[in-house]
Amino acid sequence: MKNHLKTDTDNTQIIELIKINDEGVLKTLYHSNFPKIEAFILKNNGTKDHAKDIFQEAFIAVWKNVKANKYTPQNNHTLNGYLYTISKNKWMDYLRSKHHKKTVVTSKLNHFEISDKDLQDKHDDILKENRLQDVMQAFKNLGLPCKNLLTKFYFEKKSMNTIAEEMQLDAASTRNKKYRCMQKLRELALKDN
Amino acid sequence: MKPDYNISQEALEHIERYINKTMTLEESAAFEKKLESNLDFKKQVEDIETILLGIETQALKEKLEEFHNELPETDIPSKEPSKLKYLNFTKLVAAAAILIAAGSFWYFSESSNTNLYSKFYTPDPGLPTTMSTTDDFTFYDAMVNYKRKDYMLALSKWESLLKNKPENDTLNYFIGSAYLAKGDENQAIPYLLLVSQNEKSIFKNEAFYYLGLAYLKAENIELAKKNLKFSTMDNSKDILSELED
Repeated sequence: MKNHLKTDTDNTQIIELIKINDEGVLKTLYHSNFPKIEAFILKNNGTKDHAKDIFQEAFIAVWKNVKANKYTPQNNHTLNGYLYTISKNKWMDYLRSKHHKKTVVTSKLNHFEISDKDLQDKHDDILKENRLQDVMQAFKNLGLPCKNLLTKFYFEKKSMNTIAEEMQLDAASTRNKKYRCMQKLRELALKDN
Repeated sequence: MKPDYNISQEALEHIERYINKTMTLEESAAFEKKLESNLDFKKQVEDIETILLGIETQALKEKLEEFHNELPETDIPSKEPSKLKYLNFTKLVAAAAILIAAGSFWYFSESSNTNLYSKFYTPDPGLPTTMSTTDDFTFYDAMVNYKRKDYMLALSKWESLLKNKPENDTLNYFIGSAYLAKGDENQAIPYLLLVSQNEKSIFKNEAFYYLGLAYLKAENIELAKKNLKFSTMDNSKDILSELED
């Protein structure tokens, strides 16, 4: 069991820490990469607000890929490089889209005629993405007590017992509270539809 | 087409345990069977996955706003030549690399100077969980629980493995780490002690370090110092020098 264990720890550790949303690592990643991307966007006809939006979009995209094991950086440098490349591409896409007015509106895509499986899959992806956006919107507007509880649980990944202790409740009531918050969130996300 | 949005607490928690990988092997096998055979169920599970991702993503988005507001002011004179900015950036990267390498100790250090333990203690981040061999499956399965801070569950799995391999240094080290992480330093000490006395263990250095911290938490300063002196971890020296003050 011993030999193959402690190798590549630094890099894999960062990945593991990103997966559990370690605040220190995420913050460092943000602070150390933003200035470079901001400089790039400012140099290429963008504003500070553009820089922030594009960088945050890219950051979330990288985070999602790391979580889904779609990306495993060899070292910290390539993770930074990856973030830079995605930001750059997103900015290029944005610049291009300004010249060609958007012709496809996502809401129209829901009325696609389904002719084959490929289209069905695409349709499913769009539905899923719409659903994700609805959930995010609903979570944004969720009451603070529920929002805090669900954040501790799903973002900070604290255990039920830890959260119960923090809230000075017993585990069973915390679990029930969490369940009711989830129901509330789901209702809210459906209403937006 | 639309998944069933009405779900009981038990059913929801059951699905979440699958998504968070906290099921026993038998449970997850049964679960996967149901996924294959029941399309409605599969849709429901997918929907819950989307909801969990939505919560996490939105929470992250809001965190990013916080991070953004905490950005150090680097660009007050906006006509600064860009070369300078680039230099600043490389410095930042170097600093960041050091920070990350140090295991992000510093982020925990803001609270109070008097409490050395909480200043320096951060749980061992654990081992990468790539399921390589079936042999180690339970070990890594528990490692996932450990990283998700479900120390009780991790401990129950590792302790059952320890029965067959009472001398295994990896197991002893992580059982000790899990006890310490859940705040039970007295339980942690015997396990860490065993590892620190194992000349061949690759965890020896870390074991001394965490043993030192465990004694520090137990307010046994003499033993804390003694063990920290045996560890070459950078933080050991820092703690020692603060203890000497």
